[in-house]
Formats: sequence, structure tokens, C-alpha cells
Amino acid sequence: MEIYVLVKQVPDPEAIVKVKSDLELEIENKYFTSFFDEIAVEAGLKLKEKFGGKVTVLTVDNRKVDALRRGISMGADDAVQIADPALEGSDQFAIARTLSAYLKDKPFDLILTGRQAMDDDAGIVGPAVAECLGIPHVHSIIGLEVDDQKREAKVVREVENGKEHLMCPLPALFTCQKGLNTPRIPLVMNVMKAMKTQIKKIDLASLGLSQEDVGSQAVRVKVQRYLPPPKRPSVKMIKEDFPDNVKTLVKLLREEAKVI
Amino acid sequence: MAIDFTFTEEQEFFRQTVRDAVNRLIMPRVKELDEKEEFPWDLWKDFAGLGYLGLRHKEQYGGMETDTLMQMIFYEELARGSCGFSMSATMQILMGTYFIARFGNEEMKQRVLVPAIRGEKIGTICFTEDQSGSDLGGTRTLATKVDGGWRINGRKQWITNGPIAEFATVMTTVDPKLGLKGLNFFLVEKKTPQRDGFVPGQKLHKLGSRCSVTGELVLDNVFVPDENLLGEEVGKGVQYAGEILNEVRVMTGMNALAISKEAMEDAKQYANNRIAFGNPISKFQLIREKFAKFWAWYEASRTFLYRCAWMIQSNIPCTNECMLAKYHATEMCMVAVEEAMRIYGGNAFCSEYPVQRFWRDAKFLLYGGGTHEVLCDYLGRMYCKD
Repeated sequence: MEIYVLVKQVPDPEAIVKVKSDLELEIENKYFTSFFDEIAVEAGLKLKEKFGGKVTVLTVDNRKVDALRRGISMGADDAVQIADPALEGSDQFAIARTLSAYLKDKPFDLILTGRQAMDDDAGIVGPAVAECLGIPHVHSIIGLEVDDQKREAKVVREVENGKEHLMCPLPALFTCQKGLNTPRIPLVMNVMKAMKTQIKKIDLASLGLSQEDVGSQAVRVKVQRYLPPPKRPSVKMIKEDFPDNVKTLVKLLREEAKVI
Repeated sequence: MAIDFTFTEEQEFFRQTVRDAVNRLIMPRVKELDEKEEFPWDLWKDFAGLGYLGLRHKEQYGGMETDTLMQMIFYEELARGSCGFSMSATMQILMGTYFIARFGNEEMKQRVLVPAIRGEKIGTICFTEDQSGSDLGGTRTLATKVDGGWRINGRKQWITNGPIAEFATVMTTVDPKLGLKGLNFFLVEKKTPQRDGFVPGQKLHKLGSRCSVTGELVLDNVFVPDENLLGEEVGKGVQYAGEILNEVRVMTGMNALAISKEAMEDAKQYANNRIAFGNPISKFQLIREKFAKFWAWYEASRTFLYRCAWMIQSNIPCTNECMLAKYHATEMCMVAVEEAMRIYGGNAFCSEYPVQRFWRDAKFLLYGGGTHEVLCDYLGRMYCKD
């Protein structure tokens, strides 16, 4: 099977993120591969182990390739970075357009990615790539079985109060949800291999895209303003005795906190 | 512009990968590992399966042949988890297999080193006795030449991995009167019905680093063949020990970095959430000073340790520097864990909070690679020398 996995490097949950100005964030230099993308890589590797073939990890990122190295260290065969200065400021649609421009001529059976990136939580790129390529997609799968003879896949996803079982013809794109698998911890041998791997770098021109197709000129979703989360108010101690303290507490919960 | 303090992209990637493995394999079990005081065989198997035990050994034996900087990055990240597990693993990776890899014959490497890298055989190194440790010249475990080999008699103490070890690199003397000039290393395997060898003695109950099992090894007239002498000639043991001690000291410093950082990060969370007099205690200047002092000493220590790692890697003589860096890092760690305990106040005294574990674990770092009293005596002598 020819499998492509779309991955993204996102700020580590431990990284300190501050709102620098209305349209700019200051992010501590700690990054990791989006957790849901690792689930997608694991799913791809399991299929490769069963049916043979090749897993390629693919990202759009001008600076960081650690998500690709992570994919290689887990066992992916190949890694491709799409990078171009014109991509700065791209929204999810431009990223999807770029990825699909690369994928459209590739003989893939399956495209996998995380259900959402762990930074913007948008969940747009996966489905948008499928739309651009004109292939079916299923979002947030927690089960995957492939019949390579019939070229179809059985997938499961969680719905309200239950699970939905679907059959989907291949090629298709699935976004992966927690519960599909547990991503493997890379062997140090593969980590060393990943550190030495030459990452293939592709620019926009080779994809037949121009500056107008991507970047800040092509944005459909525009960030208006970043706001930091509200600061935690100081603790208010109720010093009265029972039962007055209960009455005061209920009053504060109702009138100040507005939670009851 | 010769000085460059940055890690490469590859080194950062390696650090992140080790960090992730530690977070997933070790971190969820840290409390349990400390409380059980048993060697975690299941964790060992999982960890060995990832290949980290071969970090510094040749590829032909299943190793990775990484450089010193990579190894130190690994030690720093590993020690963030369980100090005890880190001690067992570094014993296997570094001290327990170093001389076998360097001096062992091919058959010995296949028999001992290859399974050690796979985690199937546990190894250790034995220096300490009841009257020697930092004072290696006081070694009394005696190696006597006999036909076709050596007879070894003695009792080793404070042996990391000792109770579970299958093989040991044992420091002996050919004559106690020769002091440092009589020392040698031998490979000695555990006694079996088919083979002479050491017998594990009493297991120690320790204050910290508790899942790394530590105990005595008894060598009762053990016969080893000539090829088990690990070295080119008799009497060079102290020189060989010196070669490995630089790495051991910097590795110990990396453990100190990790423990101090974890303790103070934990204390930071506590200080930001513990309210006293209407404010988080991190708003009080005396508490803030503790973090500021730690930060300064920690950064200095970290820079110094990585400089030593770079010197080892670059084959620049650095015995004094490695002693200084180990001393600085470990003393910094002692202050950090003590201050973290004070930030926690009375809560530090109960096992519900992890800070007491950092405090207990840190104490273990004072002794490996020479006690600070011995190091400082030597360093002071070197500094005052004309």
C-alpha cells in the first residue's frame, strides 16, 4: 500500500505561549509532533506491516522538520517537506491546497492525518485535502481495517451514544482520533536514522502553485485578535460561621460567579 | 567567533525523543518505583527494547556509537524520571560494560556485551569495599596469579545492580602494599553450577534511588581465566579507572541537573498555587529569591557540564574540569532540593508530595565519582600548586 501521512509540528503543551500583540503570539521554542498525527503515522505503519508498501510523511512548514524526523523514527520510509517563503501566513485552506497539489499525481491508496492539529484545533486541513483531491474522507476514526483486494476500508468512528461503522472505497483520506491505536515509542536505531535522513524539500513552483494561491494573500480565515485567557481572580475567604457562610457562598455563586 | 553554545537540530530532536520516551514509560510509574524498592524488570525490558542500552557501544554488537554529547543529553533526560532507574541504566550503558567493550576478546563480547546491550544480562562495576571507595589505593580484594588464570578473594560493597548482576567488572589488587600501582580490573561472572563466580550478598535498603537495587558481591576464591584480566598489563587499573571517571562525573552531574530542575519546577507549581496571607507564596520575595538563586546556579552548572562533555568528546584533557563540574552540579542540586522542601513547608514532610523523593534521591549523587571531601581536597591541592 502507498500511504501518505500528513503531519504537523506544534508547540509542546509545556511551552509557554504569550499574546505579544493583537495578531502575534510569542511561543517558547518547544515543539513536538501533533499527537493525533502520531496516531495517523502509527495507523499507516500498522497497515504497511500487514500489506507491505511504503509510508511517506508529509508536512508544510518553512522551518521545522522534526515532525518528519519523528515519522521516520517511528518507521516511515520517506519524508517530504513543502517549504516556500510565500507560504508564510497561510490559512488551513491554503495548506490543504498545497498538500493536494503535491499529492494529486501520486499513486496513493490512503492518506491519513490527525483529526486536528493540537495548536489551532481547527480540524480543517484533512477534510479539505480530500475535497481538493476529490476522494472520500471519514473524520475522527477510532477503528480501521483495510481489504486491499477489494480496495475498501472498514472504519469506525464515535458518534453520540454509540459508534458508527462505515465502508469506504479506496483511495480515501481518514483523520485519526485517540483510541485508534497507541503510537509506538521509536527505537533508538530509528532515531539515529531519522537524525541523518535527508529531508526532500519541495517549493511552490514545482507544485504549479503561485504566490496568489497561498500565504496571506489567499486567506479565507483571518485572525482578528488574540486574547490571553482571563487571569484567575484572587481567593475570597468566607469568614462567617455556619449557616451564614452557606448563605453567603450561594449568593456569591449566583451573583458573582454566575454558575448557579 | 569560536564559541557556540547551541545544540544542533539533530541533538534537539534526540533530546525530544528521549524526553517523550521517559514521559511515556517512566514518569507515570515514578512513585510506584520509589515505594516498591524493587528492580522493575518489565520497565527494563521495554526500555532495553528501544535500544538505549547500546548508546555508546559499536554497531557490530548492537550499539549506536553515539558521541559523548548525545550520551549526556540522554543521561540528562533519563534522570528526569526515576533516579533509581537512571542509575541502573547508566551502570549498564557506561561503567558496567566499558572495560569489556574496550579490553574483552570477541568471544567475551558475544557472551556478555551483546546480551547486556539487549538488556538480557545485567552488569555492574565494583570499586567500593568496607575500607576503600574514593581511596582506591586501599583496595584489598586480592587477585592471585595461578596456573591458567587468577584466584580472586574479597567482598565488594555498594554495588549498583549487584543483587541482580550476571557479570561484574571487579577492581582488585595484586598486592595491597602496592596501593594504586597494584590495581587491575577483572571480568567476573555470577556463580553457577557450571562456573565459578561471585555470589550476591546482602541487599541494601536505601534512602533514595530505591528501584536501583544495591548490595554486596562476595568473591570467595573465585577462579577466572587469564583472558578475564581487562587491560593490557598488570597494574594499570588506576589509569583505566581515570579514563572512565571523567564520563562518570559528568553523567552524575547530568543526574543532578535533572533532579534539581524537576524539584524546582515542581516547587514552582506549588508556590504559584499555595495561598498564604491572601497571595500565592511565589509573590513573596524570600520565596522568589530561592528560585532566582537556583536559576543562576543551574544555568552555570549546565553550561559547565556540557563544556566538559564537549572536552571529553574532543579528547581535551579535562580531569579537573570534570571534577569541578560534578562538584558544582551536585552541590547545586543539594541546595535546590533543600530549598524546594522549604517552599513546600510542612507538606514536604509527607510522601503525598514528590519533593521528598527528589531530596532523598539527590543525596545519592554525592558519593559516585569520589566524595566531595576527596574531590575538594584534590582540587584545592591542584589550585594551590605553584
